[in-house]
Amino acid sequence: MKNKNIYIITFLAFAFVLGIVSSCDKEVELSETLTPLEPASLDEDAANWAPIDANAMTIEKIVNVVENSTPKVFNPPADITSDAYKAELATIKDAQSKLTKEQKDIIEYWSGGGVLRWNQILRGLVARFNLPPAPKADGSYPAPDAENPFADPNFPFANPPYAARAYSYVSVAQYEALKAAWHYMYQYNRPSPYKNDSGIQSLMPETDLPSYPSSDAVLSGVTAEMLKLLFPAAVEEITLKAAEQRNAALWSGKASTSDITAGLALGKSVAALFVTRARGDGMGAAGGNKALWQSLADGAIAKGETPWISLETPKRPPMLPVFGKVKAWAMTAEQIAAGRPAPPPLTSSAEMQKEVDEVKWYADNLTRERLAIVHKWADGAGTYTPPGHWNDIAAEYIRDANYSEVRAARAFALLNMALHDAAVCCWETKFYYFNPRPSQMNGSIKTGTGVPNFPAFTSGHSTFSGAAATVLSHLFPSHTDYFQSEADEASLSRLYAGIHYRADIEVGLQQGKSVGGFTVAFAQTDGAE
Amino acid sequence: MLGLIPTLSFAQNLTDGLMMPKKTFCTGFMYMHDRWTDYWEGELKRDNGNIGHVTTQSLTWVGTYGITNKVNVIAMVPYVKTKASQGTMSGMEGLQDLSLGVKYNFFRKKFEKSAFSTFAVLNFSTPLSDYTPDFFPLGLGTHTTNLSYRLTAHFKIEQGWFVNASGAYTWRSNTTLDRPSYYDGNEFVMSDEVKMPNVFDVFVSMGYHKGPIQAELNYIQQNTLGGGDIRRQDMPFVSNRMNMIKTGALVMYYLPAPRGMAVRGSAHYTVAGRNAGQSTTLMAGVLYTIKFDKNQ
Repeated sequence: MKNKNIYIITFLAFAFVLGIVSSCDKEVELSETLTPLEPASLDEDAANWAPIDANAMTIEKIVNVVENSTPKVFNPPADITSDAYKAELATIKDAQSKLTKEQKDIIEYWSGGGVLRWNQILRGLVARFNLPPAPKADGSYPAPDAENPFADPNFPFANPPYAARAYSYVSVAQYEALKAAWHYMYQYNRPSPYKNDSGIQSLMPETDLPSYPSSDAVLSGVTAEMLKLLFPAAVEEITLKAAEQRNAALWSGKASTSDITAGLALGKSVAALFVTRARGDGMGAAGGNKALWQSLADGAIAKGETPWISLETPKRPPMLPVFGKVKAWAMTAEQIAAGRPAPPPLTSSAEMQKEVDEVKWYADNLTRERLAIVHKWADGAGTYTPPGHWNDIAAEYIRDANYSEVRAARAFALLNMALHDAAVCCWETKFYYFNPRPSQMNGSIKTGTGVPNFPAFTSGHSTFSGAAATVLSHLFPSHTDYFQSEADEASLSRLYAGIHYRADIEVGLQQGKSVGGFTVAFAQTDGAE
Repeated sequence: MLGLIPTLSFAQNLTDGLMMPKKTFCTGFMYMHDRWTDYWEGELKRDNGNIGHVTTQSLTWVGTYGITNKVNVIAMVPYVKTKASQGTMSGMEGLQDLSLGVKYNFFRKKFEKSAFSTFAVLNFSTPLSDYTPDFFPLGLGTHTTNLSYRLTAHFKIEQGWFVNASGAYTWRSNTTLDRPSYYDGNEFVMSDEVKMPNVFDVFVSMGYHKGPIQAELNYIQQNTLGGGDIRRQDMPFVSNRMNMIKTGALVMYYLPAPRGMAVRGSAHYTVAGRNAGQSTTLMAGVLYTIKFDKNQ
């Protein structure tokens, strides 16, 4: 009898657990959800805000392009009483009468704000393309080729400097394109379709923003063109997303076909100006060549220093050794050289030995708490990189501020120009001093994350974080303590991981703050505050 | 460790067709040494100079108790240690997952010169320490809570020869990383939570078991029912589609003295895989059986 009970209990337990398991939901909870954007202010005067790089683009420049192209980029809008426009309204009504679930989801997705959505998409692209080339059988490494982006290795290898530059080009071009949109929207003052026809619903929050040219279409055009330059192998998903954004503007009653056509053309025209800047900013030469790599090592030896050596097998050429010469946004080449930190301890010095010993201690005593910090900030291969992490941090604050699209674009532009400049300054410093990683100085140092394939001084994470925290503290001053403590933690994570000396992280953090200061100085006088 | 549930290769008690008699407790320790140099990056077989050989060693306490002749409880606690022979990456060590199973011999049929039995096993496992799931291939495991449903059929003839076939479906909980986003091989996800695909395994063995000797050849296949491939030159990720086929042999021998003492040894080799290391696994253990009911 007793045995029988045990069998019944066993059987019931099997069945009960099966019930629990089959009812379990594995869908993960996503962070950074966006709700329909209702801007606190329309920022009507945004077209007057100062340009970030007047050599690349000003309102006068883009007006000149729009007016003097043959044919013109777009013409003034038809009157809202015209038959042509009425036909456009009829198209919207027709589309709204048969919206599918999928189309409604697309409207909801883009109602979260185009600038925030594209920033999320961009972070995903960086993570996807952030893979180093695999070595060939002869031990050499192939270089990603922009002209053959689908090959192995894919183009690009979206490593931190590449990513910093990409985030900055997309954000700055978006910002300048939206300012151009604002210029024309308030010049023509054509209301949104839902204001012109009571038969058209507004499926996104209503605003008084004029709609010619459609700011959503401007954003789709400028972003898609920049992304096609930076991530050519993702052309399919980029163009699909951009078309989705324009459809959402149309289906939601926010913009008509002519609003969208004009916006798309304007967005592409602004992108062309930044593509020209990007092609001439020095990135093409940032990888260097064999002779240059050797000269870096020879230069360090001539100074009596131990030169940096790749710790990978087979040895990989250093990551973008000439990135320090790439054009910055808020700093001149002279300011970059003048801001280069004083040298780290000599590799043969007792002070250096002390630094190595400290790293060794952290490597040997990697607690679970410190490992969690290391992994929180690792942002290595296959991730959105440290600049992406700071975009991730910024996105929630920008969302919660209920910024207009143009002000949200300004916030990301400021953040990302500072992050790009931090990458330039940090790389300039790294390859000027070319000093070794801790595991090169002491082979027994085992690390809690991968050792990046470039010199140690100064820490990229620290420089990025110092710059980003400085800009975000300026934009959201009541959260300064949080941004600074995150920057400190990001910086320390590299010492905990066993991949940076204390000098790298402390000097890097200071360097980043000083770089961020150049962007803040611009922000204080650009007319937006 | 670039295999999912290496416990399978030493969790003999979960997959075999044997039961501990009522009020009998069998306990002991198993030492495992697993090493691979080549691994499958997706379906591409390669080696990697930045890790060299990856060695995983574990020491596992195992215990099986007969509640009745037909219901056994099986427990395991492994301590795991990993190391890479090249590169800078730190190895890991610590207590891995407690595994607790109930094995039920729900059908038994005796023929004139043979016997056929079937078994159902419900196995639960859960992490015993907060090791990170985000350090493949040197992590200790997936840091998930798992539930396996296993069915086993066992046929044995009087002379001692047997065949045994077992299959299980393992449900795995999601796992949590220390970072706010990740790329899982297919898509970028803005969350620290990772959706973990479930796992299916098949275990087939044939051999001889009579008196103090048990010897068998076996085949183990494990398939992850979803998950992305490791991308070119990427690190492995916790939710990768890790599949493998292993073959091996196992021998167990009850020593003449002391009574109840047995030794067990096994060797396995991974013949095929996807997002898994091509490992050679050696295992050795000592088991001791205690009878609490002297009347039996």
